[in-house]
Amino acid sequence: MKRKLLGVIDATTYHEDLEDLIIHRSLAALPFAGRYRIIDFILSNMVNSGIRSVAIFPKMQYRSLMDHLGSGKEWDLNRKRDGLFFFPSSIIDADPHRVGSFELFAANMDYFYRSTQEYAIIANCYTVFNMNFRSLMEWHEESGCDITEIHDRNGRPLEIYLTKTSLLIKLIETRLQTGYTCMKDVVTDIHNEFSICHYQYDGYAAMIDSIENYYTTSLNLLQSEVWKELFAKERPIFTKVKDEPPTKYLNGSSVRGSMIANGCIIHGTVENSIVSRGVKIGKGTVIKNCIIMQKCQIEDNCYLDSVILDKDVMIEAGTHLTGSARSPYVVRKGIKQGALMNS
Amino acid sequence: MAKKKCVAMLLAGGKGSRLNSLTKDLAKPAVPFGGKYRIIDFTLSNCTNSGIDTVGVLTQYQPLLLNSYIGIGSAWDLDRKDGGVTVLPPYSESSDVKWYTGTASAIFQNLNYLRQYQPDYVLILSGDHIYKMNYEDMLNYHIEKKADVTISLIEVPWDEASRFGIMNTDQNMRIIDFEEKPSQPKNNLASMGIYIFNWHILQEYLEMDDRKSNSCHDFGKDIIPAMLKSNKKMFAYPFKGYWKDVGTIRSLWEANMDLLKEDCELDLFDYDWRIYSVNPNRPPQYIAPSAIVKDSLINEGCTIEGDIDHSVLFHGVEVGAYSRIKESVIMPDTVIGKNCFIEKAIVQYDCAIPDGTVIRPLDDEIILVTREMLSGLRSAAN
Repeated sequence: MKRKLLGVIDATTYHEDLEDLIIHRSLAALPFAGRYRIIDFILSNMVNSGIRSVAIFPKMQYRSLMDHLGSGKEWDLNRKRDGLFFFPSSIIDADPHRVGSFELFAANMDYFYRSTQEYAIIANCYTVFNMNFRSLMEWHEESGCDITEIHDRNGRPLEIYLTKTSLLIKLIETRLQTGYTCMKDVVTDIHNEFSICHYQYDGYAAMIDSIENYYTTSLNLLQSEVWKELFAKERPIFTKVKDEPPTKYLNGSSVRGSMIANGCIIHGTVENSIVSRGVKIGKGTVIKNCIIMQKCQIEDNCYLDSVILDKDVMIEAGTHLTGSARSPYVVRKGIKQGALMNS
Repeated sequence: MAKKKCVAMLLAGGKGSRLNSLTKDLAKPAVPFGGKYRIIDFTLSNCTNSGIDTVGVLTQYQPLLLNSYIGIGSAWDLDRKDGGVTVLPPYSESSDVKWYTGTASAIFQNLNYLRQYQPDYVLILSGDHIYKMNYEDMLNYHIEKKADVTISLIEVPWDEASRFGIMNTDQNMRIIDFEEKPSQPKNNLASMGIYIFNWHILQEYLEMDDRKSNSCHDFGKDIIPAMLKSNKKMFAYPFKGYWKDVGTIRSLWEANMDLLKEDCELDLFDYDWRIYSVNPNRPPQYIAPSAIVKDSLINEGCTIEGDIDHSVLFHGVEVGAYSRIKESVIMPDTVIGKNCFIEKAIVQYDCAIPDGTVIRPLDDEIILVTREMLSGLRSAAN
């Protein structure tokens, strides 16, 4: 079967409301759900829908994203033909936030010219969902639309577009004349010359664009219907594997209503929280309503409620930290937080 | 092909018949262990961590799962341009099919594999054991002692000594006597089935052994005694640390329970000596609000609604509400219903345990629960 669809992931987005968490990494590489990065969702959706050629366009701070993706092996995209393409930006601009994705696509036009796939999906990197694009593809072909945008069940646009590769090429080539900097510009222009359609996706979908929303979306995973849909067995979300041992629960631990990744050693109490790989939680420590990222160490007798700990954070014994659902307390990557430095 | 200093030959054809139905459709090295691993992961990870990048894996009994599990060796970083892992099944020659009749015959029939690399040393390993060991240290010891053969040994409990090959040494650790599974052992230093041979000596003795019609073609029974007889320089390499031959259901259960000890000698969390495995890629484990988990090892992809105490759960295990799992090992993707009670059991992979099932030993036995057993129960109930 001739592969029909090209995957294009725009990983250039920067949301200021997420600053504390994306200061050292591209938004695409934001850790999520204990063992994933948010780009895993769109990337796995593409692969599970039969897409065999995926181009990723990052803009800033792409080291962690590149490290995560590697050769694309985990997504079965390390192929002799097609596979994963990574196009870091060569544009150095005074205001990098304002360069649209078309400008970055244009710097790599050869990729689009060489691709034989008739259609392309152009997607953002920060939508959490588990969708098969095959029915969207059929729907789009039948509808005869120029551009189809996916909307969620509440009618909100997900900023994911399906169009003919030839039209995408034309949009990129004519960007200076039209003034369109990205797909969103095209579909939101009421004077555009294309037929734009909406395809409603009825499954669970969340866009991560602020700390508050990152926090609530994360804790929503603890509802089993959300959980089961996002991690459907027949459409697995792939990610970089880490060779962690199973998680060890020591005598005296108490864990409930939580999602725990591998490689943790838990001695304390964990409730209504997400705990990533390789986290150590000390004796007498209580973790409630928290998102704990990879390799954090929380020593004995701490109390953390409504806190987000970024990677490699060390919390010294006896520390108390409390945030709220609307404004979780965020500790940035690699910080050592002591009991005397309380907020 | 580039010359290699040391090539490892990993014997993975064992049936492990005392593991009963657990090894009915897979070889012993493929038996699941420790919530995530298969037994062979330990030896393969030891090779990688010791800097040995060329490993021949000899399979024979029920090889399908083992062969596909090993694949091209990428899980252990053994997918190499030069060397890497090679699965070596028995093969036929123009005249007849040659099964591996003993450990030595398995290596003898693959001398051509070894010849390609012209190694200085050959490391013989068994895929049946759980331990962490730096083979490079052993090789350096072998070179220092200018030995022809070095055998790794470990102290075992006296009452188990007759299960092993027992060695007697002089003060310089030179081996003066070797008895395979003696009924009256003279000491408790057991061979771990790990040998380093100088390549040419190994080749010579394997060829000699092949011509003997009364030989069992076994390292312990034939090759080592023959070398001792002709006064080869054979040294013992004492190993200290965790080492377990999980030959029985009880020892497999014990080895799993060992991992739950707070001061477990077999540290799976040691990042300098990782145990690699084929990762199942499952979402994190979900511990429901109704669950109680303590003193346990739980892998990704589990959904826990019940009470888990002192147990090892592999990936994809589901435990329903009000169920209680105590001192048990639950292998991958087994689904346990509601209101069950399971104590001191090993439950095979892919089992479905119906609601309200009670499994507990009447005496000090460890119960093995298999799919076969469960379908027998179901048909009896109908």
